Amino acid sequence: MRLLLILLLLLQTNLLKANEINYLLNIPNLKTYKLNNANGLKYLNTYKNFRIGTNNNITCDKTTKELLKKKFPLIKKNLDIYKSEFLKKINLRFIVLCENLFISKINTAGIPDHKKRTLILDLNFNEKYFERVLHHEVFHIINDSFKNIFDEEIWSNFNNKEFQYAECSTCSDRLALNLYDETNGFLTEYSKSIPSEDMAEVYSFLITNKINIKNKSKKDLILFNKIKFIEDGINKIYNF
Amino acid sequence: MIKKVKASLSEKFLLLFLITLGIFSFSFFFITKNKCFFVKKVDLEKIQFSKSENIVVMNVECGNVIIELFSNTSPNSVKRFKSLIEKGSYDRSAFYRVLKDTLIQAGDLEYGNIDNINYFKIGSGKSGLGNLQSELSNKYNFEEGTLALARRDGLNTEDSEFFIILKNIPLFNGEFTPVGKVIYGLDALKKIKSAAKSEYVLRPDYINYFKLLK
Repeated sequence: MRLLLILLLLLQTNLLKANEINYLLNIPNLKTYKLNNANGLKYLNTYKNFRIGTNNNITCDKTTKELLKKKFPLIKKNLDIYKSEFLKKINLRFIVLCENLFISKINTAGIPDHKKRTLILDLNFNEKYFERVLHHEVFHIINDSFKNIFDEEIWSNFNNKEFQYAECSTCSDRLALNLYDETNGFLTEYSKSIPSEDMAEVYSFLITNKINIKNKSKKDLILFNKIKFIEDGINKIYNF
Repeated sequence: MIKKVKASLSEKFLLLFLITLGIFSFSFFFITKNKCFFVKKVDLEKIQFSKSENIVVMNVECGNVIIELFSNTSPNSVKRFKSLIEKGSYDRSAFYRVLKDTLIQAGDLEYGNIDNINYFKIGSGKSGLGNLQSELSNKYNFEEGTLALARRDGLNTEDSEFFIILKNIPLFNGEFTPVGKVIYGLDALKKIKSAAKSEYVLRPDYINYFKLLK
């Protein structure tokens, strides 16, 4: 009986072909794509659909050659702005490239895991926001590694007292990513979901559209405070 | 009078074929039964070592494996590793996790001893000495034969478990603490038992003994 249980356990958890990448990251069906990058990032490509996480709730599909060829230069260009010292501090080392990334059946641009120093990216994510979203996801890695610097209570206090964030990012219908003309403390509708998403939105615009949002912040004190908070936090990490 | 019947040419060929088949089958059975048949034995007495204090000997089913430790690259990890070898903690430790032709892992001192193996908890055992800080080096290349400390979770969770890689794995450069490298006897490790559909092995091979050369 005991042996049968062991056999079942082994069959259930490890039918996938194990390789050294799976050993390192616990993600199956990956192969190296580009390892020697100046900032130390290691890019891994998905050759077969995978399913990971608690109850296998994270799924992603293998990449297609055409999309990979098109999106990889964009990803590399954007992530090359981060120096190796900074990436080491924030715990980012591996970029997993795949298509149609879902968590609990909700499509998402990226899934950060600072413990495994990994960011899974969906190459198929909305073309219009693709580059900005890369930095948004990088911020989640930063935030997860430096929770003490990016205090959510301090952040929430920047908002008007009557404003309430949602319980979680996926239990809200505030999902739009386009930049508001009138900000009123928030850059996008998605900023209103939860504090960490709000921070990630501010950070991503600071990287990709700094002048525009700095201008907007001149007429928006809440946004001004939020931008300053993020900039101060990032400077602290540089000097950490 | 009995007439002597001469074997025809085709009958002679058939006889020769049957004899050859018999010899081949017998040899094949013998060789496949003995997985160590083609493994070159390492004779310790015939080898001269310049820094013998950094040499350790692991004995497995197919013979001796000689490993040189990197006391300069990863001083704290090597110190821990040596102390566990000295105490005999790795003796009879199972190679419970094997990626065929890629890596073999052993060193779970709590649940991975072959005499008292716990398949449910293997891989989560502790040495009782606490976690070590990772000693990563971007300059070290993870070439075939490298021995490195395994981790339980993220960085700085190394303890007693270790793995040896059976091929070059550049992806591991800067990711694990290198402790040493096999200088003789890697073939013996390539014969360690693996499972067909799993990286976890039932009734695994194990280390007979692990000792310091000096």
